[in-house]
Amino acid sequence: MASSPPLLTPVEPPQLSPYPLQPTSSSPLASLYNRFASWRSSLGLSNPGTVENLTKEVKSTHLTNFFFDGARADLSKSLSVNPIFQVTHSFALGSQTSPPSYNFAAVFANDKVFLQGNVDHDGNVNGRLNQGWSQSNVSKVQGQLSSQVGHSMLQAEHDYLGQDYSVNVKAINPSPTDLTGIYIGSYLQSVTKNLALGFETLYQRPTPDMAESQTSYLAKYTGSDKNWIATAQLQPAGIVQATYWQKLSEKVEVAAELQLIAAPARRDAIATLGAKYDLRMSTFRAQLDSTGKVSALLEQRFAPAFSFMVSGEIDHFKNAAKVGVGVMIESPSMTPEEMGMMQMPVPPAP
Amino acid sequence: MPSEETKERIIKAVELGRTVLHYGWIPLIIYVGYTRSNPQPSLIKLISPLA
Repeated sequence: MASSPPLLTPVEPPQLSPYPLQPTSSSPLASLYNRFASWRSSLGLSNPGTVENLTKEVKSTHLTNFFFDGARADLSKSLSVNPIFQVTHSFALGSQTSPPSYNFAAVFANDKVFLQGNVDHDGNVNGRLNQGWSQSNVSKVQGQLSSQVGHSMLQAEHDYLGQDYSVNVKAINPSPTDLTGIYIGSYLQSVTKNLALGFETLYQRPTPDMAESQTSYLAKYTGSDKNWIATAQLQPAGIVQATYWQKLSEKVEVAAELQLIAAPARRDAIATLGAKYDLRMSTFRAQLDSTGKVSALLEQRFAPAFSFMVSGEIDHFKNAAKVGVGVMIESPSMTPEEMGMMQMPVPPAP
Repeated sequence: MPSEETKERIIKAVELGRTVLHYGWIPLIIYVGYTRSNPQPSLIKLISPLA
C-alpha cells in the first residue's frame, strides 16, 4: 500500500462535482473550501432564479402589465430571425390615462447581446442593453433619456447566477462626482430543494450628506414538480407582499397576490386574483381585485401575422369603465418566395 | 476627493455622453441590426411602416 498515491480514493462517486480549487494545493484553507464546496454541490440545490424574477410568473399571469385602453396598433417588422432584428411602429389613441402617442422601437439580439430602444413622438428615448459575458454573468444597462431636465434615468446592474444562489447589484443614477444615487444589492440562496431565502438592500444617497438604507427580506417556495410557486416579501416600512401562482394544466394558470401596508400612518391591503388561459390561437386573461376592479383581456391571433386584442375594465366602486381595442400586424421582411415552405403553410386548393 | 475642476469636467463629459446616447442610440441599433442581419433588408422597409 505504501507505493499507492495517498490522495487517491478508490470508490469516489462520479457525480461529485470537480473541485473548484486544485486539490494539489496543500493549504488547509483550500482543502476546507473544497470540502465545503463538494458538500454544497452534493446537496443538489438548483439556482433559485433572480430576485427581479421572483414574481415573474405572477406578473405574466396577471393582466396589470398588459392592460391598455383606447385604441392601439402595433406594426412590427421582423427583418431578420438570426440574429433577431425587429422594428415596431406603435400608435395609441383615445386612452383615458395617456395622450395619443406614436412610438418607434428597434430590437437587436444575438446570443450574447440584446439591444433595445424606443423613441416617442416627443423625442424621449428609452434604451436597454444586456450583455451576457458567460452562462452565469449578465450585465444590464437601461436608461431613459429625455430633453426635459430631471427626467433622465440610468440604471446599471450586474447579475451573477451561482450554482445555488443569485446575486444582483444595481446602481440607479449614480453620479461619479459625489457618489449620490440609489444602490441596490440583492442575494437569493436556495436553502432546500424547494425553499429559497434572500434579502435586498437599498442604499439611497440623494445628497452627499444624506444617506439611508433599508433591507427587505424575501422567500420563495417552489413546489416539487415546479407547478406552483409561493413568494413573500417583507419590507421594513411594514409592507408585506405575498403571491401564489399555480399552473393548473398546460393551458391554465392562476395567480393571487396580496399586498399589505401596515405603516402607522396608513393601513391598506389589496388582493388580486387572476387567471390566464393559453388557447391554440388566443390568450385570455381575467382579473379581479379588492378595489372593485374586474378586467379582462383577449388576444386573438387570426393569422400568423395578424392578431387582435380587446380589453375591458369595470371599476365597480368608482362606477367607471375602460375599453380598449388593438391590432398587431407583423410583416416579415422576406418575400413569400424567400420564406419558402417553412413558415407559411400552403393554403389547400379549392 | 477630486478637485472642483475635475468634477466640472466629469459633469460635462456625462452631459455630452447623455446627449450622444439620446440622439445616437436608435440609429446605433438600426445600424447594428442592418449590417448584421441576414439577409440584409432594404432601407425603405426598415423605416417606413407600410412598405
